[in-house]
Amino acid sequence: MNKKKKNILLLLLALACLAGAGAFYAYKEFNRKAEDLSSAKAAYQVTAVELIDAFTGNEAGSNAKYLSQVIEISGTLKKTDQDEKGNRILVLGDSTSMSSVRCSLDSLYGKAGVFEQGSLVKMKGLCTGFMADDLGIGSDVILTRCIPIKQ
Amino acid sequence: MKKLFILIALFGLFNAAQAQNRFFTKTGKISFDATTPKSPENIDAVNKNSTCVLDSKTGDIQFSVLMKGFEFDRALMMEHFNENYAESDKFPKTIYKGIIVNNAAVNYSKDGSYPAKVKGKLTMHGETRDLETEGTLTIKNGKVAVSAIFPALLSDYRIGIPQLVADKVAKTAKITVDCTLEPLTK
Repeated sequence: MNKKKKNILLLLLALACLAGAGAFYAYKEFNRKAEDLSSAKAAYQVTAVELIDAFTGNEAGSNAKYLSQVIEISGTLKKTDQDEKGNRILVLGDSTSMSSVRCSLDSLYGKAGVFEQGSLVKMKGLCTGFMADDLGIGSDVILTRCIPIKQ
Repeated sequence: MKKLFILIALFGLFNAAQAQNRFFTKTGKISFDATTPKSPENIDAVNKNSTCVLDSKTGDIQFSVLMKGFEFDRALMMEHFNENYAESDKFPKTIYKGIIVNNAAVNYSKDGSYPAKVKGKLTMHGETRDLETEGTLTIKNGKVAVSAIFPALLSDYRIGIPQLVADKVAKTAKITVDCTLEPLTK
């Protein structure tokens, strides 16, 4: 094999490798699932009451700061809500107030773990926004894909 | 002083009466589907943290949903939805405010399934449009289950679909509401 043919072969091989790597990346990216937050680093550490106050005082500013951020939140468990599939939502905040931080547990976390009403819980979750109290049912900061943090 | 007590008592009674007429949930399920026969995969998502309030006396009904709360099967689709279509940082919330037109025909104190026609306005992506549909109210054990499908023409809400994927994304998204409301007690 002369040198020219060898170079063309190497070039074709390199192109095939590149195309293969591109296709693999595209396949991985296309099928990528939402990140499990258990290993994610929290951008902010706040209490439930602080987070509610921040959104109530300045919704636009707090949206800019907290939206899509992983937040480590701590607060008193007011109650636990459940949807029809049994997925749990831990409602944190001041029990004398109608406003809360609602933390939807990640389905990866399953239905394990017992959370006692009135206890102090710490979670890590993704902030998806704020529901202002324009319906007379209290305002809520919503965190999804929450993972409890052991204390 | 006596008058003040009477006033406070009347205010309390008014609030209690108003609360009894209202049903609500904060765990409502609202999903959307923009799949077409040519879509290579399902273009759908669900939000399980929707808020819904219904006033059984007036028929007023309102849904609120946070755009970033929609869960997709694929993370890439969720990113495209939030960044390129819904622009969720700029327009974080979608709200529907409507009224049940035939509310008088619904007996909220008797278990049963009642057809409901709702008329109202949907605010999404910063645009507000009239939107009406027909759904069902199911009364059972003091709770009200609301189910309805709202067809939303995406161009009405300035949600553009790139030419390259024009036949792969539906022009009209199907917004499905599935909420079970409980009496609001204050």
